[in-house]
Amino acid sequence: MKRSGLVRGGLVPGALAGVAGGLVFGAAMADYGALPTIASIVRAQSVVAGFAVHMLIAAVIGAGFGLVVYPLRSGVGETLLWGIAYGGLWWFLGPLTLLPLLLGEPATWTVEAARAAFPSLLGHILYGATAALALSALSARSSDERPALRPSAGPLLRGAGAGLIAALLFAVALGAPSRLAALMPAAAVGSLWAWLATGLAFGIGYGLLYPRLTGSPGAALTRGMTYGFVWWVVVALTLVPLVDGAGLAWSLDAARGEFAAFPGCLLLGAAVGLLYRWLDGLRRLLFVQDVRAIEHESAGARGLRALGRGALGGLLGGLVFTVVMVQIGFLPTVAQLVGSSSVGVGLAIHLLIADLIGASYGLLFRRQSFDVGSALGWGVAYGLLWWLLGPLTLLPILLGAPPQWTLAAAAAAFPSLVGHLAYGAALGVAFYRLEARYSPWWLTRNEIEAERAERRREQVFGSAPALWAVIAMFAVTVPLLLGQ
Amino acid sequence: MRSLRREDMAIGAAAGLVSGLVLVALTLWQGMAISGLLGLTGRGPAEVALQLLLATLAGAGLAGVLGYAAQGYSAMVSGGLLAGLLLWIAGPLTVAPLLEGRGPTWSLREAGDVFSSLIADLLFGALTAFLFYMTLAVRRRGESPSARGGPSEEPRVRVVIAGGGFAGVSVAQGLERHFARDPEVDVTLVSSSNYLLFTPMLAEVASSAVEPAHISAPVRASSARTRFRRGVVQEIDPASGVVRVRTGGSVSDLELPYDHLVLALGSVADFRGLPGVEANSFTLKTLEDAVALRNHVISLLEEAEGVGHSEERRRQLTFVVAGGGFAGTEAIAELFDLVHGVLHYYPSLRAEELRFVLVHSRDRILPEVGERLASYALEKLRARGIDFELERRVESATAGALRLEGGHEIHTHTIVWTAGNRPAPVLAPLSEQLEGKGAIPVEPTLQVVGHPSLWALGDCASIPDPRRPGASYPPTAQHALREGKLVAGNVAAAIRGEEPKAFAFEPIGVLVALGRRTAVAEIRGRQFSGLAAWIMWRGIYLAKLPGLERKLRVLLDWTLDLFFTRDVVLTGQDERRARDTVVEQRVAEGAR
Repeated sequence: MKRSGLVRGGLVPGALAGVAGGLVFGAAMADYGALPTIASIVRAQSVVAGFAVHMLIAAVIGAGFGLVVYPLRSGVGETLLWGIAYGGLWWFLGPLTLLPLLLGEPATWTVEAARAAFPSLLGHILYGATAALALSALSARSSDERPALRPSAGPLLRGAGAGLIAALLFAVALGAPSRLAALMPAAAVGSLWAWLATGLAFGIGYGLLYPRLTGSPGAALTRGMTYGFVWWVVVALTLVPLVDGAGLAWSLDAARGEFAAFPGCLLLGAAVGLLYRWLDGLRRLLFVQDVRAIEHESAGARGLRALGRGALGGLLGGLVFTVVMVQIGFLPTVAQLVGSSSVGVGLAIHLLIADLIGASYGLLFRRQSFDVGSALGWGVAYGLLWWLLGPLTLLPILLGAPPQWTLAAAAAAFPSLVGHLAYGAALGVAFYRLEARYSPWWLTRNEIEAERAERRREQVFGSAPALWAVIAMFAVTVPLLLGQ
Repeated sequence: MRSLRREDMAIGAAAGLVSGLVLVALTLWQGMAISGLLGLTGRGPAEVALQLLLATLAGAGLAGVLGYAAQGYSAMVSGGLLAGLLLWIAGPLTVAPLLEGRGPTWSLREAGDVFSSLIADLLFGALTAFLFYMTLAVRRRGESPSARGGPSEEPRVRVVIAGGGFAGVSVAQGLERHFARDPEVDVTLVSSSNYLLFTPMLAEVASSAVEPAHISAPVRASSARTRFRRGVVQEIDPASGVVRVRTGGSVSDLELPYDHLVLALGSVADFRGLPGVEANSFTLKTLEDAVALRNHVISLLEEAEGVGHSEERRRQLTFVVAGGGFAGTEAIAELFDLVHGVLHYYPSLRAEELRFVLVHSRDRILPEVGERLASYALEKLRARGIDFELERRVESATAGALRLEGGHEIHTHTIVWTAGNRPAPVLAPLSEQLEGKGAIPVEPTLQVVGHPSLWALGDCASIPDPRRPGASYPPTAQHALREGKLVAGNVAAAIRGEEPKAFAFEPIGVLVALGRRTAVAEIRGRQFSGLAAWIMWRGIYLAKLPGLERKLRVLLDWTLDLFFTRDVVLTGQDERRARDTVVEQRVAEGAR
């Protein structure tokens, strides 16, 4: 990597993109009146001084982002993920740590301080997202190597199809259209058609961002979940309230009011990601005539083994989780699924579910982990998905109630969240260990195989770590900050 | 690679210590009211020391987890954040309440109380990962990619497996399991066919009940991490540790050096030098044999249809199998089913004109099963119209007849020879040198006597049976599979400098199919016959067939066989020529 290339291709466009992100974030800060606080860094009070300081910081941090993304050569959607992870990290570093220190006050890192900085968290995410999009646009202009921004019809159609199917699935699963309101904040509430249109827009957005398909269905699912998070911040908390004329819904209370959309958006995103991948699989199955474009790992070849390894991993993860289930006395609730209330029945059902989820992990995430680190990343992401899908959605539905997408339910299920994350981590590592023991496909015997493995590795590491970082930072933080 | 790992962990520990110091500095000098990595809030020297110790350990652990495939700053920092989250769950949320004796609740309130630890852990993870990778990147500058875990240039240990049957493939799969993560052990399998043949179903291929390709699984797919070389083993040279292989085509012969050689070359038909037998009979050992026999039988039916009642027509419609063991009995039963099953296509042939004969040297067939079952099988087959020439030995054969001891002659164009096997001819010099009777004599550990780096198993080895002194284990597939597993373990043990284990196996049972809906079985001393045994035969062999895909294909073949007549399509070359080619090949192999 040439130093001049790093400056021209990374630093400068990064700084420009940072300015773009800073403008958006700055406008929001002007709206909720945080600029004077920034100004106090230079011992000033005025909004203008605050904006100037903010823009300077935005440009410097943006330059850093340019350096981070430069070696990765990612597409638009992947860069977006990196942007959000980067912006999120700066929320922890900036308003929670450096800003108090610069102002001469001790930082406290308490929940109260973090809750007070909640609008700033959303601002940092939006900053990262805007900077990422701007950087993609700048890079696409300056270089032929990166994928162009111009959308092609195929991904958009697939995205639209995935969005529609997911929306229909949700409509069937959730029943009354009024419950879908949780996913369509404020004015859009109402008919099924409005909901399907929301799904369509959601899917098309996904197709626009991720036209290239990399990784397994599991990776697509995780990516979709993170996309859902972005949708929650950008659409549910920002655009829709703005269009409604209600101003930004960035205050803690406003965000609490829109909490139902948080699990809703994440689950919708996961569904769209997975469906998008499967629709693409269907397209390949039916319409791809060039055999070179087809993956050589057919589903039947190693699927059974992956299923078995996943089931074993799930059992191990389930045992880790059991400790907490017993501790918080949750097993009788699980037993209600079969109309019992005994702890023993609850334990059996819990382990069975852990096993089934593990098996599905095996199918979705096989050949995706290279090391314990990546195994943890996928596992924790899958654990988060099942917290949203399990105790908040399916368990109430199976017990005859609507999904519990409320703050109170999420707060009560917080131990379950921690448990699901720990479960996912154990599952991921156990599955990786089993895969590594019997078919470590990344260990190669010659240069040609090594090249193949390297290409795959580059694909995974082009965007997957950003997903893991976003999930690591926000899976616990958001419910914790919003919970009361 | 192992030392590299330790080095990584040392760097990680240092990075963790530095990050820990930053954290302590924030707490002490900036007056931040934060709880540390474990959620402890105290600021005394003991707490600070504990904090730093924990940071160092966490850094080492992080490096151990993430260092193996370090992929740049962004990936590392992401991994660090993730590790930070898990550290928070493990530390302040779980271990700290346990230490305080109240047990973890993971509740929202408790999580809120240690929120500052969450931020501390996340930032600690990110910073440690960043510092760790920075050090790693500086140290790795200018290193070649192979030093970073790419393919190694020269393997440390070379294992060559000669033979791709049940025994050889089972060894290869076992070694893949033992050395999955060790690219320095190089395993090469040499075989003349690039597939593993499921021999128990060979008779069904000959009778058109199952497609030939469906009972064979590609070696490259079933043992993907083993190097495969298609070729015929020409010479084994234990003195210089080399195997010579003829690969055919324009490629000159291969020389494969080895540290451990596994001999699993199987057996070939033994015609005992009887005049004319080799040149005029079919065998049933390979897929080509089975296809050639099927084509031969069907083309005889085609010919007989145009010939009037004559001596020649009688020869064409007489089918003889020599040898009344498993293979012979199954072959005669399947031939009977094939010919009778397709007879309605040939309107001028009458069922009474067909003759099936099994020639066997002893007084009863199927010496592998108990007397009662053997006589049951005999009665069943006799009742269908199969003739038995018991206590008769083959003397010679010509193109139109098989001559038995005592001058009796059977006029036929079809002789299937299953009456004797001998180990692959290439092993003869080694066997002679060891004073073996054809098969290679081995120790109970399956090491060739006097050659600790040579291993032999399967049909080509004579393996002492500890339960019956002086006797050897029988050459069956179920033994070969177990022997293969043991050899893989023993080769691995030898490479690691451990003690090899002895082979001991109690056979589970035997199953013999007797054609349509009938079989005999002896499992753990219990005897079964008729439809029950037949279902057992199909179920057990279907389960043993390697790979889900092949299982499904054979199951489909069997299902179609229930509803449709067997196939009489003749493809490929003229049947006589096909037979000549097979015989030529056999003669050539024998001469070697």
